[in-house]
Amino acid sequence: MTCDSVSKLIPLYFYGELPAEEEERVEDHLHECASCARELEKQRSLAVALDGRRMETPPLLAEECRMNLMAAVRAEARRPMESARPQPSSWKLFERAMGGTFAGLGRLRQPLGALALLAVGFLAARVTGITPEARQASPSNPSDRIFATVRSVQPEPSGAVQIAFDETRRRVVSGRMDDENIQRLLLAAAREDNPAVRVESVDVLKSRADSGEVRDALLNAVAHDPNPGVRLKALEGLKPQAEDESVRKTLAHVLLTDDNPAVRMEVVDLLVARPDDSMVGILQNLVQKENNNYVRQKCEKALKDMNASVGTF
Amino acid sequence: MAQDAAGAVSARLNPDVDSLIRAAQGGDDDAFEQLVRTYDQSVLRLAVNLLRSPEDARDVYQEAFLRVYRNLHGFRFDCSFHTWLYRIVTNVCLDQLRKRRVRKEESFVMDTAEGPLDRIDVFEEEASHANPERCLWNNQIRQRVEQALGGLTPRERMVFELRHYQGLRLRNIGEVLGTTEEAAKNCLFRATQKMRAELGDLL
Repeated sequence: MTCDSVSKLIPLYFYGELPAEEEERVEDHLHECASCARELEKQRSLAVALDGRRMETPPLLAEECRMNLMAAVRAEARRPMESARPQPSSWKLFERAMGGTFAGLGRLRQPLGALALLAVGFLAARVTGITPEARQASPSNPSDRIFATVRSVQPEPSGAVQIAFDETRRRVVSGRMDDENIQRLLLAAAREDNPAVRVESVDVLKSRADSGEVRDALLNAVAHDPNPGVRLKALEGLKPQAEDESVRKTLAHVLLTDDNPAVRMEVVDLLVARPDDSMVGILQNLVQKENNNYVRQKCEKALKDMNASVGTF
Repeated sequence: MAQDAAGAVSARLNPDVDSLIRAAQGGDDDAFEQLVRTYDQSVLRLAVNLLRSPEDARDVYQEAFLRVYRNLHGFRFDCSFHTWLYRIVTNVCLDQLRKRRVRKEESFVMDTAEGPLDRIDVFEEEASHANPERCLWNNQIRQRVEQALGGLTPRERMVFELRHYQGLRLRNIGEVLGTTEEAAKNCLFRATQKMRAELGDLL
């Protein structure tokens, strides 16, 4: 072994990371070569110098960290249980409701997790394309995708194994907008977690805003949906209802609270299309606090058109 | 030095760890806490020694074990839990080291009522009461050593930390860092060469 090759192996030799044969050859060389032995000495001094800066862990740090961690873990464990995890009975209820041609769907009162998937397929088929009658895909259709969550696995004495799982099957249904059950699905879809599904369903629903239930869903979306795209779509649907007292009330509230200027612009347009005296106060109020120039100018113009003063004095 | 390596081995051979993992995967938070307790002292030792700051070590602890909690369901027992855990921990530590490089916070100077004070001095002083040998530790050498370690890349620093201070074998280090034993060897070699060049006159 040459000095050059040995000096490259000294760190590994020092840390005991050489294969036995190589270690032996390095040792043989070190016995004979004073300069390489000095190299090893330097490696040792480096290790001693480095050991001196070893830092102790403050005694109570681990306890403290563990407490913080477990607090965060418990907070995290609580959240998904409340919102994200589907109720185990949802699918059962849904499947029962789906029996026959929507026969039992009237029973659905709550938005169901499983409905999201159904609504996606449904909306992709476009309601406007209307098939003559409501139909449903056969459960045995191989194109159906099954999503399963295994809940428990238990071996049985017989050697068989019992697996309990919840399954979510994607189904595609289509039907006319005047089908009450289709409307119910859409109303549920308007409350789904996926904003794209909400936009699509609100878009379809908006042609039916004359129905009380649909109008309520649109109002709910305008006032509470976190996604501005969904709120704007719902506003479109409320256009024909802009004279309705409860609609105007909600719109006035949205105008003063919505953080999206595009939504506020749209609301001003809707409200001033049929001006009334109650509008004046709201618009004057808005002009005071509005920080978006376009919205403010729109309000000022609307107030002028109504022969009202811009300020409240 | 071999304290953590030994800890890792005993934890790996402990059948309780597997059942704790399975219980924690099933949503048992108490089992998760037990699992954390098995490993967290050595994780903290690594973070404190590497980052030289109990505050940063605390952040690393929280971030790393939360990632463990969130991803535990994906652990398939195809490597040792220790390796899997240390993959997460070293990643979080490396992120910290890289951030710090950007911030250039290598001096660890604290502002105190008595003027600026090196954090390391404080800890050394605290430690010296327990161990009089530490009093011999020369201030100048200490700063030079710190400088030499600061000159390593985060990855070299990590390999060196795991081998020299935490006593892990290079093969295991390669596994943890998602590389080969050979690459870990090269990294350790480069690290020692750099430090010996930096500290040449002191050795």
